[in-house]
Amino acid sequence: MRRLFQKHTPGLIAAFLLFIQGPVLAADDAERGHGIYRKLCADCHGAKGEGVAGKYEEPLTGDKSIGRLKRIIHRSMPDEKPELCRHGDAQAAAHYIFDAFYSPEAQARNMPARIELSRLTVRQFQNSVADLVGSFAGTSGESDKHGLRGQYFKSRSYNGKHKAFDRVDPRISFQFGKGSPDKEVFKAEEFSMTWSGSVRIEDSGEYEFIVKTENGFKLWVNANESPSIDGWVALGGEPRKHKVRLFLLGGRRYPIKLDFFKFKDKSASIELRWKPPHKVEEAIPERTLSPDSARPTLVVQSHFPPDDSSVGYPRGAAVSRAWDEAVTRAAIETANVIVERLDRFAGTKADAKDRQEKIEEFCRSFAERAFRRPLSDVEAEAMLGSQFETASDLEMAVKRAVLLTLKSPRFLYPEVGSETPDDYTTASRLALGLWDSLPDHNLWNAAKNGKLKTRAQVLRQAKRMAQDLRARVKMREFFHQWLKMDEAEDLAKDEKLFPGFDDRIVSDLRTSLDLFVEDILWSEASDYRQLLLANQMFVNKSLAKFYKVEEPEKGGFQKVSLDPKERTGVVTHPYLLTTFAYADSTSPIHRGVFITRNMLGRTLKPPPVAVSFDDQKFKPNLTMREKVTELTKSRACQNCHSIINPLGFSLEHYDAVGRFRTMEDDGKKPINAKGEFQTDEGEKIKLTGARDLAEYAANSASAQRGFVIQLFNHIAKQPVQAYGADALSELRKSFADSGCNMRELTIDTAIMFALHREARPKETAAR
Amino acid sequence: MNIRTRREFIRDLGVSAAAAPFLFGLPGLAAAKPPTDKQRLIFMFSPNGTIPWEFWPDEQGEDFKFKRILAPLEPFKKKMLVLNGVSNRVRGDGDSHMRGMSCLLTGKELLPGNIQGGSHTPAGWAGGISIDQELKNFFQKQEATSTRFGSLEFGVGRIDRADPWTRMSYAGANKPIAPVNDPYHMFEKLYGSVEDRENLTAIMDGLRSDLKKAANKLSPEDRRLLEEHAQFVSEMERDLKKASEQKLGVAPPTLKRGVSNENDNLPTLSKMQIDLLVNSFANDMARVATLQFTKSVGQAKMSWLGVKDTHHTLSHHKDDQKDSQESLVKINIWFAEQVKYLAERLEQTPEPGGSGSMLDHTTIVWTNELGKGNSHTLDNIPFVLLGNGCKFKMGRSMKYNKLAHNRLLMALAHSVGHRVETFGNPQLSAGGALDMG
Repeated sequence: MRRLFQKHTPGLIAAFLLFIQGPVLAADDAERGHGIYRKLCADCHGAKGEGVAGKYEEPLTGDKSIGRLKRIIHRSMPDEKPELCRHGDAQAAAHYIFDAFYSPEAQARNMPARIELSRLTVRQFQNSVADLVGSFAGTSGESDKHGLRGQYFKSRSYNGKHKAFDRVDPRISFQFGKGSPDKEVFKAEEFSMTWSGSVRIEDSGEYEFIVKTENGFKLWVNANESPSIDGWVALGGEPRKHKVRLFLLGGRRYPIKLDFFKFKDKSASIELRWKPPHKVEEAIPERTLSPDSARPTLVVQSHFPPDDSSVGYPRGAAVSRAWDEAVTRAAIETANVIVERLDRFAGTKADAKDRQEKIEEFCRSFAERAFRRPLSDVEAEAMLGSQFETASDLEMAVKRAVLLTLKSPRFLYPEVGSETPDDYTTASRLALGLWDSLPDHNLWNAAKNGKLKTRAQVLRQAKRMAQDLRARVKMREFFHQWLKMDEAEDLAKDEKLFPGFDDRIVSDLRTSLDLFVEDILWSEASDYRQLLLANQMFVNKSLAKFYKVEEPEKGGFQKVSLDPKERTGVVTHPYLLTTFAYADSTSPIHRGVFITRNMLGRTLKPPPVAVSFDDQKFKPNLTMREKVTELTKSRACQNCHSIINPLGFSLEHYDAVGRFRTMEDDGKKPINAKGEFQTDEGEKIKLTGARDLAEYAANSASAQRGFVIQLFNHIAKQPVQAYGADALSELRKSFADSGCNMRELTIDTAIMFALHREARPKETAAR
Repeated sequence: MNIRTRREFIRDLGVSAAAAPFLFGLPGLAAAKPPTDKQRLIFMFSPNGTIPWEFWPDEQGEDFKFKRILAPLEPFKKKMLVLNGVSNRVRGDGDSHMRGMSCLLTGKELLPGNIQGGSHTPAGWAGGISIDQELKNFFQKQEATSTRFGSLEFGVGRIDRADPWTRMSYAGANKPIAPVNDPYHMFEKLYGSVEDRENLTAIMDGLRSDLKKAANKLSPEDRRLLEEHAQFVSEMERDLKKASEQKLGVAPPTLKRGVSNENDNLPTLSKMQIDLLVNSFANDMARVATLQFTKSVGQAKMSWLGVKDTHHTLSHHKDDQKDSQESLVKINIWFAEQVKYLAERLEQTPEPGGSGSMLDHTTIVWTNELGKGNSHTLDNIPFVLLGNGCKFKMGRSMKYNKLAHNRLLMALAHSVGHRVETFGNPQLSAGGALDMG
């Protein structure tokens, strides 16, 4: 009876509810919704929406409105028998589902986010070891110079008397043929050069350094003693490539030195090249070189398994045997390095009377810096005393002390050091948040002197730290994650369809996107919206040629302004358009999913049925838009594709390598980029192309919310919801108030993370 | 290209080879091999020629008398072959020291290159494989004779350069092999994992209590992660225990700490390297080794002998400069004493899984890049063989006439069953392997 009534007058019931929000009726409605859910939904979705293995496994959670849920249920649920639950029933079920477990609020209530104990991520471990050892061995600051210092000699020995001249060379790439650097100065038969300075590393990863020459050379990278490659004896004939592979951490300058000489060889040439991660081999570019020297950094080469990224960002939520072994290997590596230079690190000499004392002091401060807080005498004795008593000599004791320190939970889990957070906790979190590393001397002293108590004091430190190259690299890594640049693997395209689009272009596009993001990020305004709206692009000669942009007059990468109708920020950057496309055609679905999740901050479920896009199955005269529409027309698909497709279609003006076009397939079919898309607030937005999409993403509250959340995750490696009910809205407000200033958001986020004082459930710990 | 050990990389703070120490594997395979009759070779090099009249016995045959330089080896007379009249007849680019060194074990011309010596044309690396590497490859190919390293290259005295004067071992043309001249690096290469395991075992108690203390401070949810972590620590502890129960044939030597790699420590460094060499053979980590004292043109300053000048400088002095010649004799006696120490250590070590001593299964080939320092001749290179690894007829002084040393290198190959028809320059191999009786 009731059912019948509601079935025919849903409007009435809705109006009724609107006016009489009585507890009795609401409870009644919820109970009815619960009944419907139990009867029609729970078999596949589980009693609490948790999912059922073999049926619908994903939990029922998301960010759609009740109205939207109702429409979905009304149209398509239960699966294949939607007539069983329509209109008012669908409304009641939607209401129940939304309140009981679906909505973000319900999720937070059911599974309150908490700050989980986390270990250092792999990157945090590597940076912490580098800076820990660096705090004793010395580190190198930034340099604003470019190129390498070159000293040229008229003979093959680096004898001051034979010095011809000094100069800074922007890059090392010289073909002397049968001649010399300058026939007025040098004999063709014999000359030599030595180049020195440092190389700035931006992306962490495996680097291949390559020297190409037919003559004699030695190359040192991040090394002062034994060369990384010794090619002093020429191999003759054609120039050959000599290579060395190194894992290097981003955000640092490493010393580099290249010695070269020619003696009676038939010809001479020298090129200093590299292959950075994700990029093609090239002459090491001027902007990454500096004539200023740098100190070597200990970069542990131990290979780590990747961190858990199941929640969308790498974090230290899990441990494994492989991880524990990698830590052990890295600890051994570090211990060996320290023992080799023990006297220098400990500030003593082999025959000094107080050598043992100095070395014990060193071990203690090594542990203190590693644990990010001082040790009491009792703690220090408990930890280090037995190593010095049982080892057969000092070196062995030091090795053991280093191993114990680096394997200790107090190093590996930054939060276990103290039961209640204090100033050292603040310092530790600030360093992790901004640098993925541990506090430097300055920050340590601030904690020691009680200068990290107020927000203003912490702000002062955060501002200082944000200037550091390590902070820039941590932000760079955020954008790689946000823009999915690290997942971009093989971007090769069909050579016939896209002639000239080779690895070189892909590599340059990546540089171009990095430069664009960093140009805006480190500008005064640091405006998030400009990331999406600016019509500038960084191009070099080969990109300019391929994308038919006016060639920059100067060499290297230059910023050019493009037609704002055609280009709008990262949304239309060819690197992303290429990443989210097939080898021979665009893929509106991949583009749409990327935009939905990463740019608009919305959640999407995995597809209920796996469907693959098989181009050959469609009639050949269809446009890509028509094919995708056809493929996703079923109701089950439309739940998500009604959002995904219009977003993807709005980028159809860009082909699979990101070139602007108005026609598809050799000008046969005009592009239709128009569409309508419903926001999570239920508003309908008309899109006519990329700029409409970018405008929406730039100004949408939910997109900005998504950005704030993702940045928080990257900085704190924890969910923002765990930092109190107001944490997110506080950050969003200050972000909006600052004109969407990303640098200020970074600092605000790091400060919130650092100053958070959570209540520890101590009583459970005591049990 | 320079091949370097893990420690040499990381010495420079940061650059380390990607290869991780294998923590739980056995460093040697001593127990795994069937007790066959092992044959081993050691090529020991000392530089700058000898003083012929204080080196070569006057007599031929079994009844020969020792001059001053070889005198320390007299106790081994019955196990020795002194080979006079063997010449390095390789010509081509490079000065005598370069060819003397880089053609010594290769028997082949140097490649053209950019390295200019004191005379003659510039040259590059050796043009072919050296005999030690040839034998290593031969041994490694067969299950019964393959070992963890196959060959080990020891150096005594620091060398900061890589060029034809400093390398005698070659994996092939243009492929010099750098000797490891720091005993601590060699120890790390041989036994690094053993020491690492001991150190890890030593910190286990501290680590366990640290984990427990940390876990006690945490909520039950968070404690789970640390308990899982503690589980891995226990597993590692179990593996460490298991690994420590797998015994090496011979325990690693205990090295004196803090011996820096510098000239004045040469006597200690020499002893350390020889101890490591004998130990590595006893644990069957290799069947071939080179032991290179300094380099050709080596400038050791043997102040511990009362010699004030450097070795190569002295070697240029004329025959009638008596003081200099006397210094050179002292220097060469010192080298003979190093051969003696090596031979003694081998003789004192019972052959593992076999009969007799290790010297009964090892041949030391002591050689030099020149015959005589002040003439730079490559004739009459001092070749002394000691020990019974090659099963030659020992206890003899032999005299040849400008015999190409390629034929001696071939004889060494044949003695272990590797029947090469030529070695190095084929023309210089004419006549085949030297008959060693």
